[in-house]
Amino acid sequence: MLTVKILGSGCANCKKLEAVAREAAASAGLEAEFIKVTDMKAIMAFDLLATPGLVINEKLVSSGRIPTQAEIRQWLAA
Amino acid sequence: MSFVLQLLNGGAGNLAAYLAAHVLLCLLPAFFIAGAMTALIPKASITRWLGRATPRHVSYPAAAAAGSLLAVCSCTIVPLFAGIYRKGAGIGPAMTFLFFAPAGNIMALAYTGSILGVDFAIARFLLCLLFGIGIGLLMALLFWRDDASHDAQTDALFADKAGISSPAIGVLLALVALLIAGTLKLWPLTATVTVVNLPLLLAEAWQATLFQWVPFDAAKGEEGVSVQGLLLIALLVLIGFTAYKGMENIVEGANRWTWIALGLAATTLLVAALRLTPHAGGLEIGFTGRVFAVGLALWALSRYARRLNPEDWQGWLWESWRFVKQIFLLLVVGVFVVGVVRQLIQPEWIQALAGRNSLLANTVGVAFGVFMYFPTLVEVPVARMFLDLGMHPGPLLAYLMADPELSLQSILMIAAVIGRPKTFAYVGWVAVFSIIAGLLYGAWVDGVGLGWLALGMATFIAALAVALAWLHRHLHKAIQSS
Repeated sequence: MLTVKILGSGCANCKKLEAVAREAAASAGLEAEFIKVTDMKAIMAFDLLATPGLVINEKLVSSGRIPTQAEIRQWLAA
Repeated sequence: MSFVLQLLNGGAGNLAAYLAAHVLLCLLPAFFIAGAMTALIPKASITRWLGRATPRHVSYPAAAAAGSLLAVCSCTIVPLFAGIYRKGAGIGPAMTFLFFAPAGNIMALAYTGSILGVDFAIARFLLCLLFGIGIGLLMALLFWRDDASHDAQTDALFADKAGISSPAIGVLLALVALLIAGTLKLWPLTATVTVVNLPLLLAEAWQATLFQWVPFDAAKGEEGVSVQGLLLIALLVLIGFTAYKGMENIVEGANRWTWIALGLAATTLLVAALRLTPHAGGLEIGFTGRVFAVGLALWALSRYARRLNPEDWQGWLWESWRFVKQIFLLLVVGVFVVGVVRQLIQPEWIQALAGRNSLLANTVGVAFGVFMYFPTLVEVPVARMFLDLGMHPGPLLAYLMADPELSLQSILMIAAVIGRPKTFAYVGWVAVFSIIAGLLYGAWVDGVGLGWLALGMATFIAALAVALAWLHRHLHKAIQSS
């Protein structure tokens, strides 16, 4: 079971990222638990300078942009 | 009943006038520039100068540059602020960044320039830059102990290096050229090169009807709706519709609607640069120098944009569209409300309170800025209203400095990152500096010479520096002896 965290204070990009990540997981047929992290202190625990951030199994894979579904599928599979 | 109608009319008139040519020529390129800055400038190209080991004369200007270039939206402001503060250059540059970001970014400056005039935009930029760095230095002096305790942490976050690709620089320059070509009121741009007459007999009647629907009073600084304005509003609605179809999933690739939306946006800019005058025989279309300049900039833009890789231009379009969604609707509502409120405020009130460049007037301007919260950029039409109602430019600038920096929301957010005592210190400094900025700009508008202004400012800074140096030494001694 994968844990996917979306880091962001609820801005438009964070919502978009969550939608893209959910679609990516669904299309790859993977089951994942999605957690939205909105608390600034919890977000800053990861090394990032811009939201939205995407964390897969406690590892920050992207920040400050919205990756494509294909990219996210690769990270989910790794 | 007629009173309510008058209010609504004021709102609609204000809105229609704001959607007119000169605002579109500024806003449309500004949205694309903001998107390009977010998507095409790698953050590491600037954040590499914000690490702990960077000398001060580099980190403070870099913090201001980050505020201006990277932080067009709150998604970047808070994490970058917290990152610089906790893991990077420390509280001083973090404060400079925080102060400069809301007022020094391209959207705010372009919009201020087109609504309030270029001199306001320049004053806002220069004073924010100067005082942003000043506040940063002050905070670093006051809270130097705090930085010392952070020194143990690494700054791997700021080790990345990156450059901007050359097509991206081309795109940014072409966009800035587009913005300048569209907004500057200078000779080759304003001159009419050739005139074409369309035998559109109804044009004059339409114009008369429009002026009847949205009556305006030029003496109050209000603008009416022209036939051209109506055409532009129609184009905007079309852009909105096609962009929704074409931009929502741009990250996964472009579709037919994307190209239609972009084509419409380019058309809108060209139409806005025309000069349409209805007269008895039809519609006169004046091709100004502006049309050719805008066309040239658009051509250069398309050349460079084609050399971007797909990931970059898709990201660029997405960020631009996101800014439109986030800001434009709020701006439309805000401008409407401003138009309504303007009908209720008597010019005498404003003139009595802030008609002169006094200390009291500037304090009132700042207090209003702190207690009122306006969404991004709405502070500019609000300022325009006050200017039209007779507010002195000095207090108006003080308000413009304080409003985007300080609102209850932003104060709470800052407090969450740096704690309450530092937040109170920051709020206090912003208020003091905004009042002084207003006094200085007001004096400049009133015709006081540059020499006196420089002298006044130098005295203020010197007094501050002496006081702080004394405090600094005093605290050092106190800690060493304990």
